[in-house]
Amino acid sequence: MLAASCGQAPPSGATVVTFPGSMLGGEGAVLRAQLQRFMREHPNIRVVQRDTPDAADQRHQLYVQWLNAEASEPDILQLDAIWTPEFAAAGWILPLERFNPDTNAFFPVTIEANRWQRRLFAIPWFADVGMLYWRTDLMPRAPTSLGELEQEAARAKARGLRFGLVWSGARYEGLVTVFLEYLGAYGGQILEGGKVVVSSPAGLQALTTMQDEIYRSGIVPSSVLTWHEEETRFAFQNGDAAFMRNWPYPYPIMGDGAVSRVAGRFAVAPMPAASNGAPTAALGGAQLAINARSENPAAAWAVVDYLTRPEQMLERARVTGQFPTRRALYDDPALAKSLSVPVAQAREIIEHAVPRPVTPVYTELSEILQVQLHRVLTRQIDPARGLARAAAEMQALLNRAGLGPGTPLAQH
Amino acid sequence: MHSTDLRRGLERREARLAWWLVTPAVGTILLVALFPLAWTLWESVHLHDLRMPWLGRPFVGAGNYAEALGDPRFWSALGHTGFFTGISVTIELGLGLVLALAMNRATRGRTLIRAAVLVPWAIPTVVSALLWRFMFDDQAGIVNVVLGTIGLTHEAIVWFIRPDLAWVPVIVSDVWKTTPFVALLLLAGLQNIDAGLYEAARIDGASTWQQFRHVTLPLLKPALLVALVFRTLDSFRVFDLIYVLTGGGPGTSTEPIALYTFNSLLQNLRFGYGSALSVITFGVSFVLAATYLRLLGRDLTEAKS
Repeated sequence: MLAASCGQAPPSGATVVTFPGSMLGGEGAVLRAQLQRFMREHPNIRVVQRDTPDAADQRHQLYVQWLNAEASEPDILQLDAIWTPEFAAAGWILPLERFNPDTNAFFPVTIEANRWQRRLFAIPWFADVGMLYWRTDLMPRAPTSLGELEQEAARAKARGLRFGLVWSGARYEGLVTVFLEYLGAYGGQILEGGKVVVSSPAGLQALTTMQDEIYRSGIVPSSVLTWHEEETRFAFQNGDAAFMRNWPYPYPIMGDGAVSRVAGRFAVAPMPAASNGAPTAALGGAQLAINARSENPAAAWAVVDYLTRPEQMLERARVTGQFPTRRALYDDPALAKSLSVPVAQAREIIEHAVPRPVTPVYTELSEILQVQLHRVLTRQIDPARGLARAAAEMQALLNRAGLGPGTPLAQH
Repeated sequence: MHSTDLRRGLERREARLAWWLVTPAVGTILLVALFPLAWTLWESVHLHDLRMPWLGRPFVGAGNYAEALGDPRFWSALGHTGFFTGISVTIELGLGLVLALAMNRATRGRTLIRAAVLVPWAIPTVVSALLWRFMFDDQAGIVNVVLGTIGLTHEAIVWFIRPDLAWVPVIVSDVWKTTPFVALLLLAGLQNIDAGLYEAARIDGASTWQQFRHVTLPLLKPALLVALVFRTLDSFRVFDLIYVLTGGGPGTSTEPIALYTFNSLLQNLRFGYGSALSVITFGVSFVLAATYLRLLGRDLTEAKS
């Protein structure tokens, strides 16, 4: 355990709240500063930070072990966007209505991702969204349709650029977020209530498009099937690609002319849609929740409430570049000064954000989908059969978990 | 009379002392070997899914085993494991034998050669797997550069997205890493063979091949079998190498049983099902080991008589 050292010694008898937040780099620095301010304003509460791994999988595993052991600590949990329903269904985190959070102040999609059975279980802290990076020196404007994106990519490639478009296609969670955006572009969904609908015509079109981009038009290199976010960033940053699908984090890095060959020559836009769908951005980011067995839920809420206030979000945006989840901040000129991504674009993209399926078994569901998507994209199985198989396996999982259609848990 | 009583008493006391002395060892074995095994067995007959606590932890009998047997991913993982073991162990034994014969012939710098040969074996698997991953990288890897330069390929091969070609880096790196171990084991075997036997064979007019076939091979059989047992059981549990190199992909086409078990147990937190997979893996390894040990035992007794 590591106490956040604050200026003055905490008064004895203070309520202690434990919080395993990210403590690396800028994120850790801004969190420490904010918690110190919080403690100055609330001398009767002491926040103790706890070291946890930053890798999502490891952090998840640790949380599950703690919560399964019915530990009352940590009081506050930093959750990935996809964990809230899992923890809520397990009864590990508190419903938050009792604290009257102002849910209308946040983007509705970020609240939706944190609801389970109509109750709110976590407060969105910051948002991560998938977006399209495009080269301003190669085309006059961002493509407005998926077809236009593919044409521009092909043209750039014909003019000698190595890659048209790059996205993270290795077999991992990132592949599902990319697929989700193509799926949305064709108007499809993965899950509807307790029913898996991924093998719809829209799903088939989306996956066929992804496969064709690699093997038919060749605008996407087949190497992306081994790539994560960073490899796509290297390709785009070296000026080898006309387009890249990625999260907001590369924006400030690639703007630095010392490391980037495309500094000042790129912009971002929502991933464009086909004619039958809508531009879609996969939603990621972090949420704050309270341990259901916490001995000091009120003090824990005070911390959560403080960290998700507009001023703290603005400071976070300035230091880490992470997108605030409060809508009104996007009208605040202070955000324009804080965020490296232009606010107008950031807002447009976040308004197209879609959560991944809100279900307690998301991680397993996603793994099934990852395997079949990857098998299709490496041409081991055709898109229709791959999707059908994924759908069957995912449905079997939901049924086994008691989350299938018609079961009480399915009503999300 | 009196003295025998005393001796008996002493013996009894010594026996008691002996039991006390072995208790820590027996206790440790029970604790670290049998207890986890028993626990895994117990888990494997229950539904225990950390991600679905609302399902409780009911007894399901052979339910998890039935699920495994009906799970195509389990069977393909088992198949991959068998394929990997068969191919890599065969190559390793062949190459290892050649290396051992060469090292046995070398008169100068033998110690140096032996030390040099051991280098790949001494490198941690994760490190060597990463090394090979970089070498087989389609963009910057040296393998594609070499293949392109000697004109074997015209385009860069993306090794890790082809279900067939993804095995190449896996098997090459395993062979590179473990052949030295086999070679040294066989070299020890070779050096145990009495030089007089070769002399006798030569006097009888045996050719080099005949000497190898009728003197070296039969006498090397125990060492070969030891190498075979160790390598087979090791390969059957392959995990870190593939975890780092391919992650089991593309899709799941290089996924071995240990990786699938890890995935069920520690990624998906399905303790019941994952434990059933572990028990099955344990069972198969056990049968393999038992079969080999019978072969080995018979051979050793044959060699003695």
